[in-house]
Amino acid sequence: MKNKEMYYLKVKRGDKNIVRTEILLTPLLIGLPIIIGILFICDWFYRGFLTYSSVFDGELVLGFIILVSNIMFDIPFIRSLLRSFRGN
Amino acid sequence: MHKSNVNRGEGINQVDRIKKKINSVEFDAHWYRRVFHTFGTSFLVYYLLPDLEWINLFKFWAPILLVAFALFLECLRVTEKINGEHFFGLRIYEKKRFGSYLYFGVGVLILLLFFPQQIAVPCILCACIADPIMGELRRNLGKMQIYIIGFLICMFLFLITWHKADLWMVFLVSIVGAGGAVLGEVKKLWWLDDDFMIQIVPAVLLLIIWVIISYFGFVIPEPVIYSW
Repeated sequence: MKNKEMYYLKVKRGDKNIVRTEILLTPLLIGLPIIIGILFICDWFYRGFLTYSSVFDGELVLGFIILVSNIMFDIPFIRSLLRSFRGN
Repeated sequence: MHKSNVNRGEGINQVDRIKKKINSVEFDAHWYRRVFHTFGTSFLVYYLLPDLEWINLFKFWAPILLVAFALFLECLRVTEKINGEHFFGLRIYEKKRFGSYLYFGVGVLILLLFFPQQIAVPCILCACIADPIMGELRRNLGKMQIYIIGFLICMFLFLITWHKADLWMVFLVSIVGAGGAVLGEVKKLWWLDDDFMIQIVPAVLLLIIWVIISYFGFVIPEPVIYSW
């Protein structure tokens, strides 16, 4: 695939009434994975840690992986979004 | 009467101002796409859901309906029946073909419905985490370095999910799975997206290993996520 094809399609915002899907989706994209990550850690805590069972340790690690990977990409995304807001 | 008309007018102006403000905000498509990738890790909640009849029905139909809806939208976009402006962050090569997110969704759907959890979880994580990290590294590093780092990340994800298995099995699965994921990422085709390949190539390879291991009577490790 040519490098030029990896560029993003330009979107014209001529129509004021157009639904901004990216704005509607942003809270979901940022919030849901963090909730799920915390859910995994809580599950490990209640079913594993409190009952001295190591069976659920994998869920703890998965919870951390979900949280860290999401936050790692959320920060630059939110920063770029704030920059756009301030720019306007 | 007059006062209420003035208030309504002010309200409409305010709504217009907010609309204008929202429409003037330009999202960074690059980071938006990355966040979309890592969002996919949320699908792992599928394995936490309890094993009840109505929830099992939901677990079967919800992913199918979600992907079918995305397919329907993409068909409308590609045939220009709906405005392409609703679809933010698409790349130029996706203008005349289905968007990567659909391939990603189909990959996740196949893994959730047809593959055992031990195979599905690391493959989904490879697409959600290793793929965007490799994409970011592409800016600064050479191809070989990216593939090595990508391989190590994928290997780590397989190690985590197979940590309950025998040591030889953990290493075999990690090396084959990570190799398959990197292989799926390396080859970029116009008609078949790497978001699909990075999930399905290692999954098929691991399924072959799974069958062989079971045939010789070795114990397959328990899943890493237990339903409620």
